[in-house]
Amino acid sequence: MYASECARAASAEESRYRITVPIAPARNARVIALDARATAVARRLSDGPWANARFYTCENAPGGGPVDAAVLHGLDGAPAMLDDLLRGTDVVVIIATDDSGGTQAAAIGRACGVRAITTAGVVLGDGFEADDAVAALRPYARVLLLSADESDAFELLRALRV
Amino acid sequence: MGEMFRQYWIPALLAEELPENDSPPVRVKLLSERLIAFRDSEGRYGLVDEFCAHRGASLWFGRNEGSGLRCPYHGWKYDVTGQCVEVPSEADNSSFCENVKLTAYPLVKVGDILWTHMGDPARRPDLPEFEFAHVPPEQTYTSKRWQQCNWLQAFEGGIDSSHVTFLHSGGLKSDPLFKGAKGNEYNLNDTKPFFEVVESEGGLFVGARRNAEEGNYYWRITPWVMPAFTMVPPRGDHPVHGHFWVPIDDENCWTYSFDYHPVRPLTTAERQAMMDGYGIHSKNIPGTYRPVANMDNDYLIDREAQKRGETYSGVAGIAMQDASLQESMGPIVDRSKERLVPADSGIIKARQRLRKAAIALRDEGVTPPGVDTAHHRVRSAAVVLPAAESFLDSCRDAVKATPGVRHASI
Repeated sequence: MYASECARAASAEESRYRITVPIAPARNARVIALDARATAVARRLSDGPWANARFYTCENAPGGGPVDAAVLHGLDGAPAMLDDLLRGTDVVVIIATDDSGGTQAAAIGRACGVRAITTAGVVLGDGFEADDAVAALRPYARVLLLSADESDAFELLRALRV
Repeated sequence: MGEMFRQYWIPALLAEELPENDSPPVRVKLLSERLIAFRDSEGRYGLVDEFCAHRGASLWFGRNEGSGLRCPYHGWKYDVTGQCVEVPSEADNSSFCENVKLTAYPLVKVGDILWTHMGDPARRPDLPEFEFAHVPPEQTYTSKRWQQCNWLQAFEGGIDSSHVTFLHSGGLKSDPLFKGAKGNEYNLNDTKPFFEVVESEGGLFVGARRNAEEGNYYWRITPWVMPAFTMVPPRGDHPVHGHFWVPIDDENCWTYSFDYHPVRPLTTAERQAMMDGYGIHSKNIPGTYRPVANMDNDYLIDREAQKRGETYSGVAGIAMQDASLQESMGPIVDRSKERLVPADSGIIKARQRLRKAAIALRDEGVTPPGVDTAHHRVRSAAVVLPAAESFLDSCRDAVKATPGVRHASI
């Protein structure tokens, strides 16, 4: 006998009656690596148990050119267009390990902002070598995770059920 | 995880619970162990197994007198180290009691709290150096409340800045310990904060960023020191506050809530407001540490107050607004049913750090972050910074506890 509705509802016994249904992956995530070390991280991540996540690299365009098929590729090297890449997605995770991709980070962030796509930045480094990349991402990234730990990117994707 | 908690000094009870020598013993349950705390005739504190070694009677019924706690059943007596010092049924010069010792842990007063270390004495760290426990007594106040859920789901609320704009929106306007700060306007005007999560040596700093005046951001910086110490970013010249989340067992925890001001005494009105359950404190049932509003009375939910806009959820008070929702998840929330979002990155990262530290301790004996007292000297902060600036680069000094220096607060 419980003293109140809340007491009964919060009991371990009642917890058993929470509806159990598979949670469908809601996030068609796109993961974009901005530099060589970030690309290596993305390659390792891409082996994960993801439902809908797709992985890309975005090289530094000479002279800070646009983010287009010249710099944007799938991990298999196939050129990609940012418009196509962002179509149908609701979260973009950008990975950086140094400042070389700052310009691209801002461009991708802006494009996501215009399309109301949530942007998360994982900046991997120690001490911190990617200050410009962080500054470029800051206006657009709903969350910035600054870490020395590569597994943070995996944990983020796993928690987001991508 | 329990073994990891045993690496740290953790709050065992408030000093007010043992107010004088030979005061009544107090039952304490910590890390799933039933203990009894007492203060002997010389003022020494003891934290020992609750049950008499003879027949297992509770020493809560013990007579605390003559520098020891005597079981009233057959008169066995123990000192603060758990050592049995008298077994009346034995011969006068018997050495029997020398071989009888209850499990015991140290109990040390630092600030308003009696702290214990339940781990290996050979690995006992230095005493805690959290600022709230070291400022002069007139500058600090600590309360505690029983929360009926696993410590982790309670703790996670402490690093989750995004709920404040919703759940606590009423309190920002009316609570005497919150209202009137310029920062509240930024909070209420921007309901979609951006987050930056940065590792610290002892845990994390979580920066929540909201728009301020043109070209500036309002940052609220929340430190977490492992395993269970969190601070809330301050508001104006109000005292700064935070929590320590202590497991009682898997399905209950103690929430210790503190308020202190680094450079001035708390005013009479502030202290009274804390005692009355405002700010992050709770109004408790007299003689207990159970909140007046609790699950047994549906948290005294007031739907009319909710409609009037006085409270967002209908539950009054910051503490019980949090606790009611955290307890509603069940004693141990099933995280396989969660749908986290990028704004939950602080929680994601904290879980990962806890898990890694627990595994490193188990497999390699690595001392976890937060044991080193240097990690304790942190502060929360609330600042306005130019948009281009990194919150942590700009606030290195602000997030470091420096005695006699005012906290950074808007």
